[in-house]
Amino acid sequence: MLAYARIRPFPRRKPALRLNLPMMPQAQELNALLGRVAEMRDQAAFAALFAHFAPRIKAYLLRLGAPPALAEDLAQEALLSLWRKAHLFDPAKASAATWLFTIARNLRIDTIRRERRPELEPADFMPEAELAADDGLALADDEARLRAALKDLPADQIQVVELSFFADKPHSEIAAQLDIPLGTVKSRLRLAMARLKRIMGEAS
Amino acid sequence: MSLHHPAPISHHPGEELLLAYAGGGADEAVSLIVAAHLAYCAACRRRSRELEALGGCLLQELAPVPMASGALDAALLKLDGIKPFERPARQASGDCTPSVLRPYIGGDLRDVRWRQVGPNLSYVPLFRRGAIRARLLRGVPGSETGAHRHAGLEYTLVLKGGFSDETGSYAPGDLQVMEGDMRHSPVADPGEDCINLAVTTGPLKFESLLQKIVAPLFGF
Ligand SMILES: [Zn+2]
Repeated sequence: MLAYARIRPFPRRKPALRLNLPMMPQAQELNALLGRVAEMRDQAAFAALFAHFAPRIKAYLLRLGAPPALAEDLAQEALLSLWRKAHLFDPAKASAATWLFTIARNLRIDTIRRERRPELEPADFMPEAELAADDGLALADDEARLRAALKDLPADQIQVVELSFFADKPHSEIAAQLDIPLGTVKSRLRLAMARLKRIMGEAS
Repeated sequence: MSLHHPAPISHHPGEELLLAYAGGGADEAVSLIVAAHLAYCAACRRRSRELEALGGCLLQELAPVPMASGALDAALLKLDGIKPFERPARQASGDCTPSVLRPYIGGDLRDVRWRQVGPNLSYVPLFRRGAIRARLLRGVPGSETGAHRHAGLEYTLVLKGGFSDETGSYAPGDLQVMEGDMRHSPVADPGEDCINLAVTTGPLKFESLLQKIVAPLFGF
């Protein structure tokens, strides 16, 4: 099902470590691959991450209206950023997918919208309630649960949640696009968020 | 220097605003004011990370669009030439200015060169995109901004001191969002100067004749 199951060996490179990958990499496998890139500059792990994420980031950029050639270039660029910044990835703070999402989001804001993305810096605040060593695992579980919960939302709620991430416009314009009142967009969003929160709350 | 303020934050951005920041739909000025609030507020930092996780899930669920053939090979050829990213070393703020603001101010709050608007009020424009403007405002204790409504939205984040109006009291880290026709007349609290980051998406509509005439001259 997944492209990286059939990646051919790359030319002129030392034989890559063979990874025993399942067909559909889940959060923990993706985290592990990212760890290998950070610690060993493992190109086979990079290739696996590329096969998984580049086509999704391309899809994300296309959804946001990027022309296909630009979406292709930026997806490539996002994965090169992964290679450049893998050592900054902290599995206790975010899953690999979440981290890649923020890279793609910021790259799009920088290059397509030509704006700066104001981001927090860790220097700004005291470390929060210390994250336990196994929080990376807990987060990976959370991601699986959150994905399942998302799929369970009613279609009209999924739509407004998705548009909040994939439309690049304020909720008033989303309402106009869907031809429904702004109040309805907001209430659907609130319902969706309350439901997701409840499911995540029950979990922890 | 870190921003751990003893006073609890009582005015937070709404879920929608956090979602716009985490999802990337918010423009730069609104993102800046939300990010600056996050520098003060652990609860919203946590929530914003949860919303980013939602973005991660949506990314995972997207139907992949195949990359051009040869895209991976092209990327692999570049890897050896790429050096690991190093966070630029930044000098710590001398006065607890949130670091996300410093590039816009060009330093710390104490280095700001204020422009006087009246005896009690001063401001500095940070940037403007169309009708959206971000500025710093400073009022001496007890100063009044003057009753006004808004043509758009007005976001105000307290950085130092505090102010009060019909809707409540605001201390450092508190974020106020005033929509459209809500009317208010903020007064700076006694004590130290009140310094705010303000983002407006349309001009303010003052009630007093003098301010009606003067405000546009200063771009308010
Ligand atoms: Zn908050």
